[in-house]
Amino acid sequence: MDKLFPTQEIGSLAKPAWRIKGYRGEPLSKEEIEEAVNWGKKLGIENLDGLVKILRRKERTSGDKRALFEWSAKFVIRFFEAAGLDVVFDGEQWRSEMYEHVIRNVSGFEFLGYVKSFDYRYFNKAACVEKPKYKRSFYVEEFIFIRENTKKMVKVPFTGPYTLVDWTFNEYYERKAGDKIKDFKQRKAAARKEFLFDLIKEVVRPEISRLIEAGAKWIQIDEPAATTNPSAEEMELFVEAFNETVRGFNCTFSLHNCYSNYRVLAKYASQLRNCSQLALEFANRDSRQAGIGEKRIGYRELKFFEDYGFCGKYGLGVVDVHTDFVEPPELIRDRILHAVSIVSDPSRIYVSTDCGLRTRTWEISFAKLKNMVLGAELARKTVS
Amino acid sequence: MHRKTVTFNILFWIYCSLRKKIKAKLAVKMFGCYVTGILPRPKELVEVTRAYDRKRFGKEELEKAFKEATMKVIEAQTSAGLSYVTDGMLKWQDLLRPFTENLEGLKTGALARWFNNNTFYRKPIVSGEIMRKKDITAEMVNMDFLPKDVPWKAVLPAPYTLTKLSENNFYKSEKELLFKYAEILKEEIKSLAERNFKYVQLSDPALVYNPFKDSILKDTLADVKSALETVVKGVEVRVCLQTFFGDFTQILPEALDFPVDDLGIDLYETSLEKLKSYAFDKGVAFGLVDARSSLLEKEEGITAVAKELIESIYPSKACDVFVCPNCDLEFLPWERAKEKIKIIANVAKKLQSELNLNG
Repeated sequence: MDKLFPTQEIGSLAKPAWRIKGYRGEPLSKEEIEEAVNWGKKLGIENLDGLVKILRRKERTSGDKRALFEWSAKFVIRFFEAAGLDVVFDGEQWRSEMYEHVIRNVSGFEFLGYVKSFDYRYFNKAACVEKPKYKRSFYVEEFIFIRENTKKMVKVPFTGPYTLVDWTFNEYYERKAGDKIKDFKQRKAAARKEFLFDLIKEVVRPEISRLIEAGAKWIQIDEPAATTNPSAEEMELFVEAFNETVRGFNCTFSLHNCYSNYRVLAKYASQLRNCSQLALEFANRDSRQAGIGEKRIGYRELKFFEDYGFCGKYGLGVVDVHTDFVEPPELIRDRILHAVSIVSDPSRIYVSTDCGLRTRTWEISFAKLKNMVLGAELARKTVS
Repeated sequence: MHRKTVTFNILFWIYCSLRKKIKAKLAVKMFGCYVTGILPRPKELVEVTRAYDRKRFGKEELEKAFKEATMKVIEAQTSAGLSYVTDGMLKWQDLLRPFTENLEGLKTGALARWFNNNTFYRKPIVSGEIMRKKDITAEMVNMDFLPKDVPWKAVLPAPYTLTKLSENNFYKSEKELLFKYAEILKEEIKSLAERNFKYVQLSDPALVYNPFKDSILKDTLADVKSALETVVKGVEVRVCLQTFFGDFTQILPEALDFPVDDLGIDLYETSLEKLKSYAFDKGVAFGLVDARSSLLEKEEGITAVAKELIESIYPSKACDVFVCPNCDLEFLPWERAKEKIKIIANVAKKLQSELNLNG
C-alpha cells in the first residue's frame, strides 16, 4: 500500500436479523425490515425495494435465500467502505461460523455434538472419521462476489489447518495409528501430525489454489488455536503447517491470532515463511488512557516479536471487539504511534481491529471503525 | 529331541511356573473403577442452559434440567457398575469455580485457558485474607440422587492447582497461599466424610502440566507433600491425588511418598516405559481411557497395557488398582462419555478376572 497505516478489519461482522431470519425462512417484523432499509439508505445501497420484497415474503425460495446472502454481503462491503477502510471483506456473511463452515463442506467429518467452552457456552465439535477429502469450494464463490462488488483491496480470511485440527476429534488417524504405536502419547502425536498434513494437502491447499485462480491476492490464515499447546513440539508443528499451507503460491499471506500467549508466538513468528503480516490483538490488553509509553501496557508484547526478529508487517489491533466502548481517535493515534516507537519503520504498521467485530452491533462497529480510520489519519499527520 | 533343548524346556517350564506363582502372590487386592471429574452435560441440559443464558428460560426450568441430568449421569455410572459413584458435577462451571465464588478473599477474574484445551475457566483473584464462611461442597455436590448401595466419590481441586491457577495479590508468598488452601480443603474433606463420602479425589493437573519442560524443583514437591499432609490429617476417607495433562514420571519418585492412598496417572501424557521403571507401594488410578478423544478404546488393548504396567510397578507388593478416564470426561459430548464409562467398567472387570487369581 502506498499510504502509511492502511486500515483493515479482521473478518467478521454481526449478521443482521433480516439476514439470519430471512435465511431461516422466518417472518420478519416491521422494525427488522425497517432496520434493513435504514442501513441500506445510510450506506447508499441501490434498489432496496428488491430486498424489501424478499423480506416481506411469507415463504422464501432457495433463490431468495441466495439473494439474501448477496444483499448482506453487499451491505457489509459498503459498510466497511463507508467507514473508510482501505482493505475490505464481506464480514463473513456467507459463513455460518469459522469452524463449522469449513467442516460442513469437507468430507470425512461428523459433528458429534456440543462440548463446553466455558460456563453455559458450548461449541459443536466434529470428529474426523475418514481421510478428509475436498468436496466443494467453500470460500471461492463468496470471494468472487466480493471482488465484483468493490474496488478496494480484498483480504480473504481463511480458517487455518492447525486450528481445524485442534478443534476436531481425531478418530480416523488415532485408530489408524492404534496398532503401530504402543505408547499412547506418541500415538496421539503421530496421528495428529498425519491428520494435519493430510488436511493441508487434501483440502486447504486445493481451496487456496482455487481462490488464487479466481483472483485472490491476499489470504489471511486465521489460527486462533496457534498457542493452545505451547510446547516446542506443538509450536514447531504449527509453523510447519503454516509453511506447508502457503508453500509455492503466488499470493500475499498473513496470519491472524488473538487472545493467545504472545510470548510463545513471538518466539516462532520469524520462522513463518511468506507471512507478510501478523494481525494481533492488543487493544483488549491495553489501558484506555491517551498517551505513548507506559500507558500502553497492552502493547508490551509487540516488543517480543521485534526482539525475536520478526521483520514483516503488523496488523496492529487498536480496537477492542469485546466492549462497546468506542475508542476515541486520539487513543487510536497514540496506540499507533506507540507501536511506531517500538518497530521504528512506520510502513510496517497496518491499523486493525483486534479480531472480527461479530459480537458488536452494527451501530457500535461503525462508530469504532470510523474512529479507527480517523485515528490512523491523525497518526499519519504526526508521522509525516 | 536334543538333550540341550530338553534341558532348556525343563528349565523354561520351571521358570514359567515360578513366575505364575509369583504373579499369583502379587495379585492386586482390588480392581475398582470410577470417573475422575466433571461429566459432560447431556444434550437436553445443554439446550436448557443455552436458553437460560439467552434469558429464554428461568431459574426453575434450569434447576429442573440439572436435576434430571444429574439423575441420568448417576444412573449411567451405577448401571455400568462403577465401584464409586459421583454426582457428575454438572453445575461446576470449572473445577475451581465453587471456591472462586464462595471463599471470602477471592474475586472471580477474567476467562483464562484451561491448560492446553479449547476450554476456559475464570481466574480466582486473591485480594484479601481467604476465609471459608460456608460449607462449599455441601451446596455444590448433589446427594439427593446418589445410590444407597454404592459408595460415593467427590472431586476437589488439589491445593497446588488452586494456588498455581490463582492470581495472588495478597499473600506474601505462593507457599503461604498453598497452605491456606490446604486448610480450607481439609475442612471440605471433613465435611464430605461426615456426609458419608468414602472417596475424595484431589485433581492436580498443574503439578504435571509442564509444556516448557521446566525442571520441577524438589522444594516444590516437598511443599506439595506437606500441604497434602495438612489436607488429609485426621481425615477418615480414602484420598487420591489425580494428575493429568502431563507426564506423571516427572514427579517420581517423590510422589510415592505423598500422604495419599492412591495416585492418579494420565497414561495419555505419561511415558509408559519410564513409568514401568518405578516400584509403587500405594494404589494407582490408571487414566486408561482418553477423555480428550472421541475414539472408543479397544478394551483388549488397554487391558493389556494395564497388565504390563501392573506387573512392572508392583514387583513385590500389590495394591489396589483403579481404572478411570485420564481426566474430566467433560471434553466429550455426553453420549460418547457414556460409552467410555462402560469401557472403564468392562476393563476393570477383565483385569479382576484375569489378574486377581486369588479372587
